[in-house]
Amino acid sequence: MLKYILKRIAAMVLTLFIILSLSFFAIRLIPGDVAGENAAPEIKAAMEARYHLDKPLGEQYVIFLKNFLSLDFGESMTLYPRRPVFAIIRDKIPTTLMLNIFSLCLTIPVGLFCGIAAALRKNTIVDYAISAMVVFNVSVPSFVFATLLQYIFAYKLGMFPFLLEIEGGFSFSKFWSMILPVLALSFGGIATITRYMRAELFEALNSEYMLLSKSKGLSNVQSTLRHALRNSFIPLCNVIIPMFMNLLGGSMVVENIFGIPGIGSLTSASIQTSDYYLTIAVLFFYSVISLTSMLLVDLSYGIVDPRIRIGGGKVRE
Amino acid sequence: MEKVLEVKDLHIHFNAFAGAVKAIRGVNFHLNKGETIAIVGESGSGKSVTTKAVCRILAENAVIDSGTITYEGKDLLAMSNKEFVDIRGNEIGLIFQDPLSALDPVMKIGKQITETLILKQKMPKAEAKARALELMAAVGIPNPEKRYEEYPFQFSGGMRQRIVIAIALASNPKVLICDEPTTALDVTIQSQILDLIKKLQKERDLSVIFITHDLGVVANMADRVYVMYAGKIVEQGTVNEVFYDPKHPYTWALLSSMPGLDTEGKDELEAIPGTPPNMLYPPVGDAFAPRNPYAMKIDFEREPPLFKVSDTHYAATWLLHPDAPKTEMPASLKKRIERQLKEAGELNG
Repeated sequence: MLKYILKRIAAMVLTLFIILSLSFFAIRLIPGDVAGENAAPEIKAAMEARYHLDKPLGEQYVIFLKNFLSLDFGESMTLYPRRPVFAIIRDKIPTTLMLNIFSLCLTIPVGLFCGIAAALRKNTIVDYAISAMVVFNVSVPSFVFATLLQYIFAYKLGMFPFLLEIEGGFSFSKFWSMILPVLALSFGGIATITRYMRAELFEALNSEYMLLSKSKGLSNVQSTLRHALRNSFIPLCNVIIPMFMNLLGGSMVVENIFGIPGIGSLTSASIQTSDYYLTIAVLFFYSVISLTSMLLVDLSYGIVDPRIRIGGGKVRE
Repeated sequence: MEKVLEVKDLHIHFNAFAGAVKAIRGVNFHLNKGETIAIVGESGSGKSVTTKAVCRILAENAVIDSGTITYEGKDLLAMSNKEFVDIRGNEIGLIFQDPLSALDPVMKIGKQITETLILKQKMPKAEAKARALELMAAVGIPNPEKRYEEYPFQFSGGMRQRIVIAIALASNPKVLICDEPTTALDVTIQSQILDLIKKLQKERDLSVIFITHDLGVVANMADRVYVMYAGKIVEQGTVNEVFYDPKHPYTWALLSSMPGLDTEGKDELEAIPGTPPNMLYPPVGDAFAPRNPYAMKIDFEREPPLFKVSDTHYAATWLLHPDAPKTEMPASLKKRIERQLKEAGELNG
């Protein structure tokens, strides 16, 4: 197991290096100027010197990599001039994290409930209604959802504020202002979990072991709870664990619409302002999250599923 | 003899996309206490559907149109689900065709055996475990203490079937239904499992229903045989009657198509021509008529009733009607039966 994890981590480091290099060069292809178009030549020269932009690209790359390896991720150039990007990202995480935790608290139970209800009542009106909701949630993009929510509940009905309340500690009005963004963040996830849960549970309900558990005398409810659900939760790890990892990520679109100062809006702002090092750092942050969650999903199978936990051990012996 | 289980005039159809598939069209059979009956027939003849109906685990699109299933005087079909859950498992145990997929893949073997004992009989855990270990030993699992903590994937096919049998026996049922229990296993394991079922039957005084398409298994296991075709019983009798004095052309065809150890190069195995009827549109007369070389005009027009051959032997074929021309079974089959009888006589004598 340890050997496997080390192997995976080595592969992860290689992938991260490739992503890092690609983003370093790709970001230069975006039109725009660090100093801005109307900046005085002296200012421009000074900035370029500070960020080594006057050197050939190859040399810049080497300097950048050296700094990166010594955990110096660079400074923001335009968005928050001269602040270290590490500090900027660190400051943005809590807001995103808080919103996403609320969203997950909504997504997982609702998704599981809908999926289970649809599977148990397959091909009835309940199932059709839930499936329609899933199709709707999957096909309508989140920015449409977010704007619709804002238009209907904030503008037309005036029930909620337009933007997220940022200042101050946690209060009821802050919570109230979080409801719309949390809803907008949750729709997609609910649809995903519902779809998976319905498919997996339906398959489990029609399995031979369900027949056996009924034929040995368990009631329908007992067999469903003890055997069908248990089996259908295993493949669900595949979707739920990445959701936990993505708590840190945030959504570019939703955060922009509701004026949330989180990681998502930071990403789009940094790209728009040609803030090279900040953009690279944010992309790197996202890459680390998604690669780690993939690793965790694979490892989790080994913990949840005895066939892999014990069977896997046997193969190596 | 005391009848434990009796199925009377059972009709079942499945609501399929194309229409109603009439899978069971008036099945009658009974099971006496302590005996083994076999229900034989080719794939799709309705054997498994009949037993699933007895255990009330039919698929959702199945509809029982009429008939009664009586277990010790109680009508199983009239019971509520709640009442029936007490019969299923407690009184009637079921062994499935495919042991590889019958066990819950992510639950420990021991837990799967003790589950019903703890949940339904409210047995203390320690006692349930002791009983499970005892059962595992009884079905021939070596080292049960260790195997108790293992998962199904760590068991071979034959061992899993033994576990399924142990689960079926956990609540001490009186009736055991074996639905092609050896189909998915290789031949050496097959005979071990059959011997095990026989042994358990004797020890526990079980009444056994054996569903199979393997006539070799039938000869080995059963006291009485029911031959099923297209959702009906076409011939029934004791093993000797059905094997040595078959009356229905379908039984003749089945027996002729079965190779035996004594099959020699010159004996040809005969395949039954054609395919079973489409049960969306069951035929008017005898369902076997289109494939039956002995079919008469009336076979295509009217369904034959069960004609009595002896007190235990019945067959549904017009050939047994007093007015029918005298028809003998195929000569090759007759020769084979005579040879088998002679050998059996030599063995016994």
